[in-house]
Amino acid sequence: MNTSYQRLTALLIFAGAVVFVACEDKINPTLEKANPILVVDAWINNLVEEQKIVLTLTQPYLENVLPAGVSGASITVNDNQGKIYSFKENDKAAGNYIWKPTAKEVFGKIGNSYTLTIVYKGETFKSISQMGRVPAVDSITFETEKETGGTKLVTRGEFWATDPLGVGDAYWIKAFKNGVLLNKPGEINFAFDAGFSPGGQTDGVVFITPIRRGINSRDEDTSAGATGNLSPFTDNDSINVQIHSITYESFNYFNQLTLQTERPGGFSELFSRPLSNVSTNITNVNPNGSKAVGFFNVAAVSSLGKRYKKK
Amino acid sequence: MKFFKLLVFTFIFCAPPAFSQNLEKFTVNGYIKDASNGEALIGASVYVKEINNGALTNEYGFYSITLPPGNYTLGVTYLGYLSVSRPFVLDKNLQISVELAPESTQLEEITVEDTEDQPTVRNTEMSTNKLDIKTITKIPTLLGEVDVIRSLLLLPGVSTVGEGAAGFNVRGGGVGQNLVLLDEAPVYNSSHLFGFFSVFNPDAVKDVKLYKGAVPARYGGRIASILDVRMKEGNSKKFEANGGIGTIFSRLAIEAPIVKDKASFIVALRRSYIDILARPTLQFLKDGGALNFYDLTLKANYNINRKNKVFLSGYFGRDVFKFDKVQGFDWGNQTGTLRWNHLFNERLFSNLTLVYSQYDYSLAFGKDDRNSFKWNSSISNFIAKPQFTYYINSNNELNFGGDITYYTFEPANAVGVTNGKAVDLSIEKKYNLETALHIGNSQKISDLLSIDYGLRFSNFQYLGPGTTYTYNDTIPGTRRSVIGSKKYGNGETIVQYSNLEPRFSFKVQASPSSSVKGSYNRMAQYLHLISNTTASNPLDVWTPTSNNIKPQTADQFTLGYFKEIGEEKKYEFSLEGYLRYTRNQIDYIDGADLLINRFLEGDLLVGKGRAYGLEAYVQKKTGRFTGWVSYTLGRSELKTDGINRGEWYETRYNQTHNLKIAGFYDINKRWSVSGNFVFTSGTPTTFPTSRYVVQGVLIPYNAQESRNNVHLPDYHRLDISFRFEGRKTHRDGSVRRNTDYWVFGLYNLYARKNPFSIYFSQTDARFPTGQALQSQATQLAIVGTVIPSISYNFKF
Repeated sequence: MNTSYQRLTALLIFAGAVVFVACEDKINPTLEKANPILVVDAWINNLVEEQKIVLTLTQPYLENVLPAGVSGASITVNDNQGKIYSFKENDKAAGNYIWKPTAKEVFGKIGNSYTLTIVYKGETFKSISQMGRVPAVDSITFETEKETGGTKLVTRGEFWATDPLGVGDAYWIKAFKNGVLLNKPGEINFAFDAGFSPGGQTDGVVFITPIRRGINSRDEDTSAGATGNLSPFTDNDSINVQIHSITYESFNYFNQLTLQTERPGGFSELFSRPLSNVSTNITNVNPNGSKAVGFFNVAAVSSLGKRYKKK
Repeated sequence: MKFFKLLVFTFIFCAPPAFSQNLEKFTVNGYIKDASNGEALIGASVYVKEINNGALTNEYGFYSITLPPGNYTLGVTYLGYLSVSRPFVLDKNLQISVELAPESTQLEEITVEDTEDQPTVRNTEMSTNKLDIKTITKIPTLLGEVDVIRSLLLLPGVSTVGEGAAGFNVRGGGVGQNLVLLDEAPVYNSSHLFGFFSVFNPDAVKDVKLYKGAVPARYGGRIASILDVRMKEGNSKKFEANGGIGTIFSRLAIEAPIVKDKASFIVALRRSYIDILARPTLQFLKDGGALNFYDLTLKANYNINRKNKVFLSGYFGRDVFKFDKVQGFDWGNQTGTLRWNHLFNERLFSNLTLVYSQYDYSLAFGKDDRNSFKWNSSISNFIAKPQFTYYINSNNELNFGGDITYYTFEPANAVGVTNGKAVDLSIEKKYNLETALHIGNSQKISDLLSIDYGLRFSNFQYLGPGTTYTYNDTIPGTRRSVIGSKKYGNGETIVQYSNLEPRFSFKVQASPSSSVKGSYNRMAQYLHLISNTTASNPLDVWTPTSNNIKPQTADQFTLGYFKEIGEEKKYEFSLEGYLRYTRNQIDYIDGADLLINRFLEGDLLVGKGRAYGLEAYVQKKTGRFTGWVSYTLGRSELKTDGINRGEWYETRYNQTHNLKIAGFYDINKRWSVSGNFVFTSGTPTTFPTSRYVVQGVLIPYNAQESRNNVHLPDYHRLDISFRFEGRKTHRDGSVRRNTDYWVFGLYNLYARKNPFSIYFSQTDARFPTGQALQSQATQLAIVGTVIPSISYNFKF
């Protein structure tokens, strides 16, 4: 129910702001030191394009520079039918490992399971993922209405799709506005069946409203005198919605990720969760070896694009 | 049960040897009341000088003392009232009811009729704090709103994680480990506006008592504390209206006799009015939106005859936040209490309480009926509670009775509608029955030693219809999956738990002015507040003990030294230590989903806890200057597999040092000033060590897997308020019937930005691929400046 939390948060900020003024300051606290560990960013899919796995190292939290890429690792993904996909390091971008499809070749097949193997500095890291099914994006609609609790007119997009029957599907819905992925922590949109959680009983139905509408950008209106967010769409904006199938582990990962990264601040801090580590499915075959973080998921993808034309 | 019966038998027939002489004794009993309005005085001291012994009045102002025939003098004292002493001849059973006059004005020198040492009344009570409403109204508060729960925060052993956080923490316990009772009805959420104000209307509150330890056997159900709030009964002498306009609330309370000295009522209403002021400027309010909170408190009593009295009280409160006509959020408590006092004979007092109490919230989103999301949740209960007090003799007071509570939990009643097609997301209701039997005796063994001993037997049943789920074993850091489920029929007992909760306390009178007290008690808690946010919020659900969740239990030991200082005993000093071990404490798997989740129980972790500390308290109760200093040195920790590498970690509300100073001074007949100062150690929080980026999202990481590894900066704050009394007389010298006063307050006088939290996030900007995401640390103060307030209050 993270989106409920988001809405509750909105209400809180709203209610709090009417009565009080909270006060925020950027600070520079001293953090405990930690040794860097391997970070695995292995989200691959069956789109007809290059598949990329990125290896980096963790850095001190307040170090605002690009993380160093990790070179010299060997990466393979093999499926349960004996097929091996090898990822080759890109000479130009350290830490980027690429699998290039031959003509018309796609990565993987729905229902197959995949094992990722990374050998780095003599240690072997493994992870397993399964490619789940994915429903088609049926349509995308736009609607212009008054902003909640305000007077400004805003245009929001909504995608329409139906979760197939059978409990246990999970999805990551990626929205690209004018070609740019909307991936601020508050924009990450994921679903279990057609709803928010396994306990939610939403199997086999149209995705619930907050998920259908979770494809809108959230950018604060910074123009003088303005409050709230910019309208997600203005004339001629394009939107591309991709539904990626994810595993239950990946769904939990997104759940934790959202809780840990979406911090709008202000009165919502009253209801923030304790900081804890987001889970990883990358394990060292040697339990006493060094740790790694990050995630491996093999997705099937469906997509649909549309351009908004002001009437 | 055999054990229980045996215990009753022991108490009644074996323990007090004085029983054999019963025939030659007579009883004096009666009620002690306030002469100005007829309100019963709770805990007034009634003593018989000749035997150097006496009793305290109970919650209804009743006392009973049994003595051999003779000539005696009855003394009655109550702080803030003129003492009375009355000679009497005891040759038959007697009723002596006394009305005490309040000390009229604050500045007049207090003349205590009898300044000699008053005999110490048998009272082993420790680890309790009483706040009378007069003191509460003097404490400077946020926005000038008199607040029962905020006032508690000035007491030793009571803390909060910060401004705006709902509820309170007692001796390192969680917010959900306090039982909050309003006229014996449990209040499941004690806050308005998230946590800024509490739900009790000060105009309707008479007495507030907090049990932090040494809890009598008649109370149970929570492991950290019991907050017993008693409402006024209503002026039985004359019509009275109290009211005021503050920064947040406007209030009006009316009380009057229905039949003089026999029946009376009080109706008290509060409502926030900011929405009314803001309506012309805020569009959403014009469009049908709402932003308000209110509460209505009612009580009536009827004195049928000397042996029977009935009380009916009710509370209804709500917070409403709406964006427009449809979308919004509201929550509130409703309680109703019916009580019947019956005197079986001169020495056997009984009370039967029937309670209905409910807490619910609802949320609605969507643009119309064809596309909406509506969700509500509630907890409700019926309680029947017979209680008896048998005043055996002047050395023994036996309390016994039982509680039976039937709960209905509605975790989520939710419907999502898409283009007219509804999807029901509801989670089935849960039904529970909690029963308890209790017995306790308060016994004076000698002038030197008094003891209290009791036992509570509690039982909790999870009843059908319902479905239970079983989960795989906990793997640290991983959410559990359902491996089985089972359906139960109507009324079937799914699972049940019982606990024996012994209670014991003693007092050794070391000298006429000092004593040493100690206690041990075990408490069991069958309801769990599911909340893993920094502060509790209105959406937090209460969930019952089940096949997966075991009851929480606590063992607490306390030891204290109590002394009255000065010739006139103007000062009271106490030093108390406490140590509490708790079991089956709930924590949460990372990423736990607490709302609308049928499989919630699979997301819970179970650990154990320990809390210990030392509380020092000095109070000056009388004179032009009154006040107290309270200091607590404490620690509160949990140990849960899967959190903090399985090692002990501090709770989010742990505070090492907690110092509060409250002072009240009457400058002259019309001006008085109140101030309070608070210093607390920063509460623990978790900082990351590292960051990493996956799929363009910056993720914080703690390499040590710590929980609560650092502390926020210390918290300190000074508040001050001035009270200005309106004229008591007209220009011509005649006494005004109306009285009024103004309160001018400054909260957070030196405008410290006390940090509520420090949080870590990526900046809101969108970065093109190939640029580093920017991380930041933000320190948040909920109240970042001095907050002035003004209120006008009247009475006529």
